[in-house]
Amino acid sequence: MAALCSEFGDLVQIKKQLISVISLCKERGLVHSVKWASELAFALDPLPKNELPPSATFTEEDAQDMDALGLAKSYFDLKEYDRAAYFLRGCRSQKAYFLYMYSRYLSGEKKKDDETVDSLGPLEKGQVRNEALRELRVELSKKHSAGELDGFTLYLYGVVLRKLDLLKEAVDVFVEATHALPLHWGAWLELCNLITNIDMLKSLSLPDCWIRDFFIAHMYTELQMIKEALQKYQSLIESGFSKSTYIVSQIAVAYHNIRDIDQALALFNELREQDPFRIENMDTFSNLLYVRSMKPELSYLAHNLVGIDKYRVETCCVIGNYYSLRSQHEKAALYFQRALKLNPRCLGAWTLMGHEYMEMKNTSAAIQAYRHAIEVNKRDYRAWYGLGQTYEILKMPFYCLYYYRKAHQLRPNDSRMLVALGESYEKLSQHVEAKKCYWRAYTVGDVERMALLKLAKLHEQLNESDDAAQCYIIYIQDIFSCGEQLEHAEVSTALRYLGQYYFKNKLYEEASLCAQRCCDYNDAREEGKALLRQISQVRDHMEASNTTPVRRVSPLDLSSFSP
Amino acid sequence: MASVHESLYFNPMMTNGVVHANVFGIKDWVTPYKISVLALLYEMTTSKPIALQERRRLNKLILPLQQGPDLTLDQFLKTVEECCPQTAYAVKLRLHEMADGELKDMEYFFATLPTPFSAIDSEAYKTSVVGLFMRHMLLAYNKLSFSQVYKLYKALQQYYHSHYSQPGDVQVGLAADDSDMDLTSTEDNVGERMEKEELDTRPEVVDRGPLSQKQAEYFLARQAYLLKNDENKALKPSALQDELNNMLKFNPDFAEAHYLSYLNSMRVQDIFISTHSLLHYFDRLILSGSEGKSNGDEGYGRSLRYAALNLAALHCRFGHYQQADLALQEAIRIAQESNDHVCLQHCLSWLYTLEQMKGSDSSVLTEDSVKMAAHFCLPYLVSLGIQSLVQQGAVQGKTAHELMDALKDTDILHWKHSLSELIDISLAQTTSIWRMYGKSTMAQQQAQLLLNMNSLEQVNFGVQQNNTEAFAVALCHLAELHAEQGLYGAVSEVLKHLKEQFPPHTQHAKLWMLCDLKIQFDRAMNDGKYHLAEPHVTAIAALNKTEGLYRKAQVLKALNRTTEAYSILQRLQLYCEKTKYTEMIIRVMLVTAELHWESSGFATALPLLLQALALARQHHLQALASETILHLAFTQLMLGVPEQALGVLHEAMEPILAHGAVMDKGRALLLAARCQMAMAGTRSNGQRHAALGLAVQSLGEAAAYFSMLDCKERLRDVHYLQARLHHTLGQTPQRNKCAMLFRLLDQELQAPGAAVPLL
Repeated sequence: MAALCSEFGDLVQIKKQLISVISLCKERGLVHSVKWASELAFALDPLPKNELPPSATFTEEDAQDMDALGLAKSYFDLKEYDRAAYFLRGCRSQKAYFLYMYSRYLSGEKKKDDETVDSLGPLEKGQVRNEALRELRVELSKKHSAGELDGFTLYLYGVVLRKLDLLKEAVDVFVEATHALPLHWGAWLELCNLITNIDMLKSLSLPDCWIRDFFIAHMYTELQMIKEALQKYQSLIESGFSKSTYIVSQIAVAYHNIRDIDQALALFNELREQDPFRIENMDTFSNLLYVRSMKPELSYLAHNLVGIDKYRVETCCVIGNYYSLRSQHEKAALYFQRALKLNPRCLGAWTLMGHEYMEMKNTSAAIQAYRHAIEVNKRDYRAWYGLGQTYEILKMPFYCLYYYRKAHQLRPNDSRMLVALGESYEKLSQHVEAKKCYWRAYTVGDVERMALLKLAKLHEQLNESDDAAQCYIIYIQDIFSCGEQLEHAEVSTALRYLGQYYFKNKLYEEASLCAQRCCDYNDAREEGKALLRQISQVRDHMEASNTTPVRRVSPLDLSSFSP
Repeated sequence: MASVHESLYFNPMMTNGVVHANVFGIKDWVTPYKISVLALLYEMTTSKPIALQERRRLNKLILPLQQGPDLTLDQFLKTVEECCPQTAYAVKLRLHEMADGELKDMEYFFATLPTPFSAIDSEAYKTSVVGLFMRHMLLAYNKLSFSQVYKLYKALQQYYHSHYSQPGDVQVGLAADDSDMDLTSTEDNVGERMEKEELDTRPEVVDRGPLSQKQAEYFLARQAYLLKNDENKALKPSALQDELNNMLKFNPDFAEAHYLSYLNSMRVQDIFISTHSLLHYFDRLILSGSEGKSNGDEGYGRSLRYAALNLAALHCRFGHYQQADLALQEAIRIAQESNDHVCLQHCLSWLYTLEQMKGSDSSVLTEDSVKMAAHFCLPYLVSLGIQSLVQQGAVQGKTAHELMDALKDTDILHWKHSLSELIDISLAQTTSIWRMYGKSTMAQQQAQLLLNMNSLEQVNFGVQQNNTEAFAVALCHLAELHAEQGLYGAVSEVLKHLKEQFPPHTQHAKLWMLCDLKIQFDRAMNDGKYHLAEPHVTAIAALNKTEGLYRKAQVLKALNRTTEAYSILQRLQLYCEKTKYTEMIIRVMLVTAELHWESSGFATALPLLLQALALARQHHLQALASETILHLAFTQLMLGVPEQALGVLHEAMEPILAHGAVMDKGRALLLAARCQMAMAGTRSNGQRHAALGLAVQSLGEAAAYFSMLDCKERLRDVHYLQARLHHTLGQTPQRNKCAMLFRLLDQELQAPGAAVPLL
């Protein structure tokens, strides 16, 4: 931690770096990186006038290209990419070269998108390619081997490689790009999309720069290593970035991922206060509000976002969630569809739409939506889980096992999948497997606190009273220790069973305790009282015939005393 | 944080989902290749006189060209040229006109195409195959927008010009690149070379475009058919998977491809991909069948049932019986809930199959299935059930005429409903039954009948149905029958064919592997080369445990390790009695009896042999019965009652000579000669001579049979006996000859330690 602090000690230096990189990116039309860097710079204290970094040095080449560059940049900003490229073709400076290549690339992308609408046949869609990519790759690779690429062009080269599905080469180039220009967040982000596991992350040699910590934290979030991510972000906050909305939002998303709803909600509210017109991540916020059934807040959020920009994926998702919470599932599905029209690769919307169809009992459409979600991302556990649920509703417990298993594979420590698996096994009368699942669900930290109850009931069914009692005991301890009131808590059931169990085993002290506690609950009151009466009768009987050993009185005989 | 480039992640091809491939109802569209086909058709219809022969060849070409995947111009022209060079030239000329001309030439071409609606007399009439294709193409062409027409024309030009570039030049699309490149770079040469090298290393197949829906359907149908009927002609598993992945990449909604992928991964026994593909297929199917109806016969409820059933079948194939059982129960439950009797029947037939595979008795279930299936008019399931019953009946010793009657009845059913697959099975089954009863001639005849029969199914894609289990079984029987007759040349021919037809990784390969091993084992045992037989035992045991144990006992017995052999045999007998494997029980008893002989316990062997005989007779196993009688006769001979022995032997002699293996024939004759010799000792002189003469004759025949198999140990015994007899009869030259033969063989066989077979 100390090392980190010293590294970040010089916030002024960082601020300077940020300011200079902002201007660099701005000149090159890399708007998203500019946005990120500016957000971060905004979070730091402003610099006094004499501390402001000098504008970048001007070479002879730059001076020569200045006019062409200015013209091209204006065309570029107006999305006339071909025109921009044409006027930049003779320029020699690095800046102009990047803009030249970048506009050629974007022109290809734009044409590809246009083409898609207008291809020869529907199947040819798959064939529509960015035709410029190959040429760009050839030229860039030539320059690359000659060592003439700077950080920005390296980044562009990486993007081209990735687009051509040459992922391994792309990773190498992006790493090189980060070394050449560590402050360009876009390169880091691209790298982040290419890293699939922690080992790969560890094997990369990354530049030693403060921005690396941001990257690592982001990576941990992506790889679902939430604890590590949170730690990282915490240390970043402590070292001076406490005002950064970016970090706050990332932490909120991380809390959302580990289902720490209260923390996440608090952070999102804070974020909304700081940045009221923010649309990013608001779909996650709405998910949280949905889970907590906070109707008014969700409604307020939805109306607010519509006021800002109604044609954003996030807005549509928020509205979808809002309608879903109001049980207007048709409308909700409609809005998720709209979100998908805006961005077909929006994963969350497919899954959410699946949930809506499930609510509408339209199982086949739900299956379709989930399948689409899986096609976009095979590792989407929610979609696998949703598919499993769909088949469970169709009463096909064996069939849904496969899907639950898939979901479980992706989230080995999520109790919901395990409970679902256990239920399916129970339906198939595979009791051993079911027990294993429930117990495992409990040990990984049961969110819904249902696993133990189910396990106990299963034991009860199988007449394994000792195990059942054990489970009920742990269950009750669990419920009381967590303190919060759960909707479906069945403490009374547990107490009732325990009372009977102790009674049968002649542990009258414990039995009467349980029976008394039973009386606190409406549904078990009568039984509790009956049990208490029985116990007192037995005790009287025992005192009356003190000499007779207890053992002669079998539990069965006792039952005849009950009124 | 949102992505840096929104557009980077926007990839319309993979998933889109908003625009489905079928939304427009377009199944086909115009490509340069299609234009070439159109040009060919045009040339053919505007009938310049073409020779009848060539016209016929061209006509045969039309359908594959229309349905197949897009070819390059090279390939296309080559195929046409092979049929009719003159037409090929004309087509080329026409394409040249368009490609080297202007856009209007292509427009003109489409305008001059004979419209199927006007040309009533020509082949291109609107309902003909050609007419339909032309209509499709015209429609697709007319639907193209302004920019699309230009794109098509560009594509055509490229298509035509790539024909002239060298095959070494990789990318078609690069033709236009040169002009762009001189904008910036001067050293074009280096760049181009590098580019080529780099792009060549990419494994992706660039020249194969996506298939249109029609082409894809045709491809899938063809591959599926080949997988079912002649796996060797289908694409290799990996190539097929590549092809399917490619197809799914371009059209993820093409559910049938998932099913084919399931079948394909079954070929290589890949449970993960096959499960995944199967479930994916049904998920997709549920979508397509979902309109309107919720749980009815046609709706997706139906595919749900069959999804569960198919999952059960999959687990069955992989031998996961418990999983299969669960899946099947689920299918049955859903089918019951929705009153789907047909599906229920299918479930039932799987249920008894599963029970059978688990090794329990399922005849009651099977009978039920047959009855119910007959009630619901499902001939396929009915006769499948009957065949299964026949199989069980045969093993459990039902009388032959019952079985044959049942088979005949099902045959009538098959022919009536043209169930060619079941006809094959039925023939193979008859072969097996005859074989079990020990009627080799009948078995051989049935096997030949199956192999020479013309399949009922029309011959698609030039493939006859000959890759099924039935054929494998029949061929194996044929190999074994030939081996019995000592025709090892023919055996290796048959096995070679089997190896070609059913490569080792395929599903039915185990059949011929076992058969091959058994034959080799028997040969080694007959030749007395026990050390050669031993390694085969392990291999056999890997394929079939029971058979392996039995063979192991045989080897141990031959190597004089009696105690071990005996314990194995005891275990085996208990196991077989539990599983009611009668044939094996009898064989085990015979080997046990032979073990008793070794210790001279002839009297103890007798009751065992009688028991075996009773069993064999009860189950009509003639071959085994004859063998038992041989054993019995030998025991009696050893117990000193040669008259009795000869009497018993005569009973078996006829069936053995008629149906038995060469080995058995030789053994029977040798034994007869020994009995005759033994009896001759008690006779008067004149009778004695005659009897010995008979014995000499029998020995001569036996020697002929043994030499056919090259069975030296037995041949040595025969020569010894012959020499002794000739000596007794005073025929010195013959005696000397036999004695010499004996001595030669005896010197050759100097392997001590191994037991000489007594019988």
